[in-house]
Amino acid sequence: MWLTRRQALAGAGGIAAGTMLPGLGMAQQAPQRGGTLTVQLTSEQRVLNPAIQASTGVYVMASKIVEPLVDLDAQGEPVGVLAESWESAPDGLTHIFRLRRGVTWHDGKDFTSKDVAFSAMECWKKILNYGTTLYLFLDRVETPDAHTAVFKFSRPMPQGLLLRALPDLGHVIPAHVYEGTDIRTNPANTAPIGTGPFKFAQYERGQFLMVERNPNYWRGNGLPYLDRIVWRFIPDRAAAAAAIESGQVQLSTYSGLSLSDIARLSKDPRFVVSTKGNEGNTAHTVMEMNLRRKELSDVRVRRALCHALDLDFFIENFLYGYAKLGTGPIPSSSAPFYVPRPAPYPFDRAKAERLLDEAGYKRPGRGRDRFAQPLKLMPAPWGEYTANFATFIQQSLREIGIRVEIESRDAPGWLTGVYRDHAFDLTTGWHQYRSDPAVSTTVWFRTGSPVGAPWTNQYGYDNPEMDRVIDAAATELDPAKRKALYQDFVRIAIEDVPVHMAVEHAFISVYSKRLMNSHNQPRWASSSWADTWLAPA
Amino acid sequence: MIRSRALRAYLRSPAGMIGLLLLLLVVAAALSADWLFPRDPLSLAGRPLQWPGQNPRLPLGTDNLGRDIAAFLFHGAQVSLLIGVVASAVAVGIGVMIGAIAGFYGGWVDDLLMRVTEAFQTVPNFILLLVLVAVFGSELPVITVAIGLVGWTAPCRLVRAEFLSLRNREFVLAARGLGMRDARLILGEVLPNALPPVIVYASVVMAVAILMESALAFLGLSDPNIASWGNMIGAGRSVLRTEWYVSAIPGLAILVTVLAFSLVGQGLNDALNPRMQAV
Repeated sequence: MWLTRRQALAGAGGIAAGTMLPGLGMAQQAPQRGGTLTVQLTSEQRVLNPAIQASTGVYVMASKIVEPLVDLDAQGEPVGVLAESWESAPDGLTHIFRLRRGVTWHDGKDFTSKDVAFSAMECWKKILNYGTTLYLFLDRVETPDAHTAVFKFSRPMPQGLLLRALPDLGHVIPAHVYEGTDIRTNPANTAPIGTGPFKFAQYERGQFLMVERNPNYWRGNGLPYLDRIVWRFIPDRAAAAAAIESGQVQLSTYSGLSLSDIARLSKDPRFVVSTKGNEGNTAHTVMEMNLRRKELSDVRVRRALCHALDLDFFIENFLYGYAKLGTGPIPSSSAPFYVPRPAPYPFDRAKAERLLDEAGYKRPGRGRDRFAQPLKLMPAPWGEYTANFATFIQQSLREIGIRVEIESRDAPGWLTGVYRDHAFDLTTGWHQYRSDPAVSTTVWFRTGSPVGAPWTNQYGYDNPEMDRVIDAAATELDPAKRKALYQDFVRIAIEDVPVHMAVEHAFISVYSKRLMNSHNQPRWASSSWADTWLAPA
Repeated sequence: MIRSRALRAYLRSPAGMIGLLLLLLVVAAALSADWLFPRDPLSLAGRPLQWPGQNPRLPLGTDNLGRDIAAFLFHGAQVSLLIGVVASAVAVGIGVMIGAIAGFYGGWVDDLLMRVTEAFQTVPNFILLLVLVAVFGSELPVITVAIGLVGWTAPCRLVRAEFLSLRNREFVLAARGLGMRDARLILGEVLPNALPPVIVYASVVMAVAILMESALAFLGLSDPNIASWGNMIGAGRSVLRTEWYVSAIPGLAILVTVLAFSLVGQGLNDALNPRMQAV
């Protein structure tokens, strides 16, 4: 966990104002039932089934309806949801999950181990992105009784990896709804039936999604507290800021507002602006370099490009301080795997120029370019971070004699242009870390990803030593040895630098101080919100 | 004789003179840009979001990407004028050619060309422009030509209407009687007499072309590698509530330029309209 400078200041303000305003003091109050929570979302994915699409944009809505086997607690440790307990064989090939009893689906049927087996074998292993890699060696799921699921792997699966992956890649969907149908086109994908605290109510595309309280929720004790949750799709960030200021919505997650509005609202006593509760979704703003381009195939050139970026200046002035320097592909929020290290490529323009001279790309004369052709930079269309970073790269590389031309594309055009056609020299994007390097991160460096698979190694990087380390770490059962292997992974990734993990940032939530019991675990926005409640206005 | 009378009429038109003055201002900005601001206007000039007047080195401040707004403004004048002139040349060129042929020959040629024109007219200009940019990319030459391509229908119909009314006048019939070929008739006799309204309209096309590029840039679909006013307005949108000047300053520049073209058009109308001259 980490705080930015502004966030620390905002927190201090909250304490000072606590006596007059519903601030920190209210958190001690007894929860109240009722009320409607309205949430702003920038875009919708048109799929509400987290068992076939792993994406925060799906979880933020669907995880209230559909639940995973395991989630994370406030400390980031695995805690059972649909699974009550688990044990693993020493060889790492067998993992037994004892399932919760007395859980029913929203349509009244009982939740059993058959649902788990079906979800794992038919959805997670065959369709789910990231899951197809993680569960590649999952042979079968045995169901000795209705409340035991036994996962059988053909290669060792570290228990820690499985448990850290399950909150994202372990949502259970009802077998009786999906069996014998085409899973990808089943109508339940947009009107899900789950076991969660909220039941699907209404989905108007481009407008809103509404869920209602599930009175038969298995946790009991009056949970969930909220009567209703509505997600409103407001793509225009200025309109989103107006909606939250006028009280029409109480929550904006995943940096859904523009950074200048976030900075402005952080001074407003009615709102909390914070990265807390999003640590589990830490992302890097990255610069990917296509090694197919002759100049970029030289590691000295790639390092020179990294040294040319004054990232401290970028973070302070372009990102309003809501970020920090990246130190490698494993972010500092990853407690099990992160080893503190300095930022690998500090700003050093002279060194950048020297590296380029050494590589044989001398300046042909004053104001002339080092490369015969400008570099084509195709920024990811993910809002301010990636767009502004692209402009900053263009400005910075100009200073060391490299001309960059930016080519803007929409999301589908960018995904095909970068990951299928490889028609880029540089691109800016997001690497989102998901609890374990084997889930989300090693695919950025390992060879063998199919052409067109987004967020994988598509820049032609190929280092057999890197592949060996990645494969060894994925099946290493000893946590200490695994951690050591990932240090090798980080070291090689930094040395070869096919992708520069330049800036590390958690997503920013902006929410009304009326919202209680929120952001209390590292991936809160993707959790069930069963204990969240709204204080009276 | 006619020229000087038109010139005098123009000089007497207050709208035309104000427009000309403003236009000269924009042209002067465009010409002096490289001399006053030799650095690349896209480069990082200082800390982002400095207010105008805050830093004497940056009189109009910086935008949210740290670019010098004053430099951007002057270099943007080059881009806007270039787009205005080239795009309207493309639009008027195509329009005059097709309109002249359709109006001069009439009959099935006219029918065919007018159906094609109508086909273009049924698609809203900006939508067609978005399609062209999506297909052919967003480099400056592509955008300029694309803006010209979507704007040719109005000048075309204008020229056709003029030709229809002129082609049977006595001087045309006389020239035809002298054995002039069609090409010479069109270019030498009819076109010069059909041009005044087209010239007036061309100024409107220029203003519209500049606005279209700005609209494209505002949507983030213009060429991001040029200093265009629309690009800066689009970039400033995310800080509109706090640093409104980032969008307002280039917006003002667009307003002045478009106003200049419109006023010049009005002045030309005063000068070239035969009905006005009779008064």
